[in-house]
Amino acid sequence: MNDIVTPSVSVTPEARQLPWRSHRARQIRAVMRLELRKSFLGRRSYGKIALALSPVIIALIRLFHPNLAADQIEEATGFFSILFQVYALRLALVLTCLAIFGDMIRREVLDRTLHYYFLAPIRREVLVVAKYLTGVLVSVPLFGVSTLAAFTVAYLPHEGVQAFLFNGPGLGHLGSYLLVTVLACIGYGSVFLLFGSFFRSPAIPALAVMGWESIHFLLPPLLKKFSVIHYLQSLCPVPMSEGPFAILSDAPSPWLSIPGLLLLSGAFVAISAWRIRGMEVSYEEE
Amino acid sequence: MSAVISDRQIVYENVSKFYGEVLGVNRVTLSVPPGITGLVGPNGSGKTTLMNLTAGLLHPTRGSISVLGATPEHPEEMFRLVGYATQYDAFPPGLTGFQFIESFLRVHGYGRVEAEELAWKAIERVNLVDAAGRKVAGYSKGMRQRIKLAQAIAHRPSVLILDEPLNGLDPMARAEVIALFRELAAGGLHVLVSSHILHEVDLISDQVVLIHGGYVVAEGDIGGVRDEMEEQHPAQVLIRCDQPSLLASRVFLHDHVVEARVHDDGKGLLVRTRDADQFYLLLNQVVVDTGLVVETVMPTDADVNAVYEYLIGANGGK
Repeated sequence: MNDIVTPSVSVTPEARQLPWRSHRARQIRAVMRLELRKSFLGRRSYGKIALALSPVIIALIRLFHPNLAADQIEEATGFFSILFQVYALRLALVLTCLAIFGDMIRREVLDRTLHYYFLAPIRREVLVVAKYLTGVLVSVPLFGVSTLAAFTVAYLPHEGVQAFLFNGPGLGHLGSYLLVTVLACIGYGSVFLLFGSFFRSPAIPALAVMGWESIHFLLPPLLKKFSVIHYLQSLCPVPMSEGPFAILSDAPSPWLSIPGLLLLSGAFVAISAWRIRGMEVSYEEE
Repeated sequence: MSAVISDRQIVYENVSKFYGEVLGVNRVTLSVPPGITGLVGPNGSGKTTLMNLTAGLLHPTRGSISVLGATPEHPEEMFRLVGYATQYDAFPPGLTGFQFIESFLRVHGYGRVEAEELAWKAIERVNLVDAAGRKVAGYSKGMRQRIKLAQAIAHRPSVLILDEPLNGLDPMARAEVIALFRELAAGGLHVLVSSHILHEVDLISDQVVLIHGGYVVAEGDIGGVRDEMEEQHPAQVLIRCDQPSLLASRVFLHDHVVEARVHDDGKGLLVRTRDADQFYLLLNQVVVDTGLVVETVMPTDADVNAVYEYLIGANGGK
């Protein structure tokens, strides 16, 4: 057989000419495009959209409350801070991020389609990063719009909205809430991507995380530091009372919170990538 | 093995795969040259495990595999060389046949124009142009098999791995797909095909690998494998001729002929011999010496089916 001509390696001239960074950027864009097409543009996305927009629905329902004091804009500020910090951040965003990021690897295993990616000439680390970026690309606008819409609806019926927004702290509040939303998507997204890479059912560890986050106000200051909500809450413009049993601690500075959260997210994505790099495709065990 | 040869072959060196305590494959040492190689064995024998190991979907517990010199540790190199149509009948949701192929070509790193061009070429090769715009979810089993094949060949790999690729295809489509395999193999590709339909493997394979219970029990071209078994399983040859009794009396004098039995209809002789080459020379001599009129000479157990039956058993060794 030695006389048989060696088959040529079928790398296209175009692919060969691209510097590796451009080539990987192109592959990341291709994975993101494919992920958006198959996971976020069909029926599978309806539940996530509904959950993400649920804070807007709650804000709308409040409009019909008989005791709504339209002349007291502070009421809207208090309502929105509770809506955002208790419901949107701790429940709606966490569950939606779980559905988006926790499913990115797990769903492929259940659908028996992960091998298509694993058989492509793309480094698995690049694949994980591309999937994570897709999740961020989906969740950030989704919750950005949700936060913006809920904020608008919460303040809409009140007198003096214009002054609150443009001559008062209104726009600053909105900016802070949007920043927290972005950071929450990045942070929780990386956590749930990690769970989806390690666990058959990422929902179980995710529930544990939700439990941990919900009792964070009871935790001693040292343990609070291991809670995502601790950093996010400190960036919220309106502090929220956590009740008589809350253990108080110093809020971390934004200069620590933001880079800390980003670094931690990067570490979680890196661990997911390491995990996927060594992963075998054996759907029969599932 | 020299680097030059290993760069032209799929090389398995003492490869074992265990799933916990369950054996997948054990101590596989093989070199697969270009051409069509049929991977044959009963269900659960380790065919799919060996294919998944080859494509890097599984990692060997022991040993190593290189595909034309590339390994799965370097996916950017390896998966340009390899196309794999797995047995999994599953597709990314919501995509049309064309989108399915084009999307993964983009993941390979091809630009839009090039990816679309390659996708259409692959779709044309499997004769699915009319269905390319329809969702894969609505395809028949045969169409799904063909679109998988198109996806595996779209990036023009040098090694094509196909797990039961003929399943679900109607006779016309089978003939087309087999012709495509031959065309690809003639172009210098390594085509590794698993099938449990032995006559199809026999029809398309240049060489076979018989696997049973996780062990490779035979490998090589069918003739070579059959020759090696002649001592234990003498070759059977049926000769249709006008004087079978005369032929029987002449051939039976030779040591390598184990049995010579006149056919029930009196117009043929079934010979079992431990040296088929010697027997054919002998037959020529008898024809020259006696003027015997021979109608046909047909080996009856030189195909993969017989080899499989001798080595593994008619019921897959069960």
